[in-house]
Amino acid sequence: MRRLPLLVMMCVLLAGLAACGGHGKLDKAVRSVLVSGDTTRAAYDSLCSLVTENPGKYSDLLTPEGKVDHKKMADFIDKIGSQLRPPMHWDTRPYGGVDDLSLTVYFERSGSMVPYDQRGGGGQLKKAVNDLINHFPAGSKVDINIVNDGIYPYQHTVDEFLKDRDIYQSTAGIGDASYTDFQLIFNKILEAQRPGNVSVLVSDLIYSPKDTRGVSLDKIFNEENSLATRAFAKYKGKSVVVQQLMGDFSGKYYPYNGVPFEYSGKRPFYLVIIADNDAMDQLAQDKRYSGVLDAPAVSNSYRFNQSTSEVECRVLPEWKDNAGRFRVKHGDGIVLAKCDGDRQTGKLCFSLAANLGSLMKDDAMLTDVSNYEVKSIDGYTLTVQPIDQSMVTANNKEYLEGMTHVLTLVGDLKSPRDEVHIALRNELPAWVRQSSSTSDTSAGGSFSTTTLGLEQLLGGMFDAMKGGSNYFDIIINLQR
Amino acid sequence: MKHLVYLIIGIAVTVLFFILSCTDGFNIWELLYFNQGYNDKMYNLDMYPVIAAITILVAWGGAAIYYYAINSVKFDRWYHWLAVLGVVAVLAPVVCYIYNDTVFANNGLMYIGESIQFEMQTVLFAALLFIVASYSMRWWSSNCRHTPLPQ
Repeated sequence: MRRLPLLVMMCVLLAGLAACGGHGKLDKAVRSVLVSGDTTRAAYDSLCSLVTENPGKYSDLLTPEGKVDHKKMADFIDKIGSQLRPPMHWDTRPYGGVDDLSLTVYFERSGSMVPYDQRGGGGQLKKAVNDLINHFPAGSKVDINIVNDGIYPYQHTVDEFLKDRDIYQSTAGIGDASYTDFQLIFNKILEAQRPGNVSVLVSDLIYSPKDTRGVSLDKIFNEENSLATRAFAKYKGKSVVVQQLMGDFSGKYYPYNGVPFEYSGKRPFYLVIIADNDAMDQLAQDKRYSGVLDAPAVSNSYRFNQSTSEVECRVLPEWKDNAGRFRVKHGDGIVLAKCDGDRQTGKLCFSLAANLGSLMKDDAMLTDVSNYEVKSIDGYTLTVQPIDQSMVTANNKEYLEGMTHVLTLVGDLKSPRDEVHIALRNELPAWVRQSSSTSDTSAGGSFSTTTLGLEQLLGGMFDAMKGGSNYFDIIINLQR
Repeated sequence: MKHLVYLIIGIAVTVLFFILSCTDGFNIWELLYFNQGYNDKMYNLDMYPVIAAITILVAWGGAAIYYYAINSVKFDRWYHWLAVLGVVAVLAPVVCYIYNDTVFANNGLMYIGESIQFEMQTVLFAALLFIVASYSMRWWSSNCRHTPLPQ
């Protein structure tokens, strides 16, 4: 009896500990999925099952009909993810309540395109289009159109298109193949596009309007540039990815204001992928569409963005290049506290893993530090390297999961406080200029790798869609 | 009444210790030893609350055994109490280390050196909690209530 107060208080202690401890079952399950990196559809479905099996407990995550409210579920997962170190984000949009994307192919059938799909050639152009269609999940709505002076529906089924060994032969006689009206084509594509639709123009991107006799090439380039700007500026909220591929070309080439000549060899062709920003993001992130934007045959690609993107990044606490000491503060923004330079050199070196994949820029551009602007008091310098599997260890896996590049900064730690700004400048990539020519009258020189007036056409699109001066900005606060 | 106040303070200190073991911004386990990668894993894998619970259970359990199971005049000297403190201060980090190592191994992680350094804190926390528990519960022991220091 005299020990009763002790027993009562011990019970209070245990109850206190139990009340403080841990998370609910769903919290723990979400945490476990995020920490283990098992961010798959199966994992998402098991989380949804947990919710539907306990409707009383998780009623706030259910719709009035008793189904999982995927928007609320995503918010819940994000809330748990934001409490982790480093904060984690899982894009669950592909798994719940998001409609499949539809595909509309616009296949250019002008005279200059026919030599890309000759029986004796490698058939890279047709394969690229077939792959594009096949990379959409089975059951997706696919429409095919033939374009030249206008847009004409393909009269056969998708399966027949895939099997067609001589697509230009079977589509002979559709429209006027002597010129390509990009203004009309872009306008029609953008006008016809509905939410959730991905439109792809398959073309050599050579502007060949009607009746150009006596018109100077400069004038044509200016016209081309203006029409591209005008077409895309009218439609806000669009993203465009231009992919450059190489294909066998065998046949007559029609130069601008020149004598047609026979050419056999490689020539570039392009896939212009147009979609609403969110549909393009889904295309980039949803694994069901993998292969559409990252096809191995693509030699160069570029995404035209309309706004500065949010880039997900995490400080790497255990990294081979790290020098000196720092402690990552958790909360809003990137803050490195208690920074201390290396004992021998006095330098502070730290690395961030960043997901630059969503920008859809080619690797040459992303790893070229001259494309970045780095500002700080102590003059930090930047290096960028792509992440490969050899860098991933068990201990750093969760920091590198879903990330594409490592950004390493080195500087002399002198100031008590510093703010390092990293920005990727919004500029047309070098490959566009390198792939563009101002003359196509002969097959010599760089004819096999260049396209007449490409820089002017893509430059016009760039002007229309340039949202800000940078693709992204990262600010790192350093405190001693 | 004075003894009950000791008990309440002891419990409050212990609960506070547990709460500060679960928090993100200020975590008591990150005061004396900090290695960003290691501590982040400990936090993400929800190991801090378990480590804290093990330390509390071993410390309070050790005190309870001394004052109510051993509870003998043969063992009521201060060095008997100190021996139990020593056992607690060794047992708690060993159990915590085994738990750490098991969780890390299950997740494919390897932090042997860091875990050993980290568990040095457990020696300190277990000893402190044992003292707190001793002063919370000794008053109701029939034979050891004057240990370690007579009141």
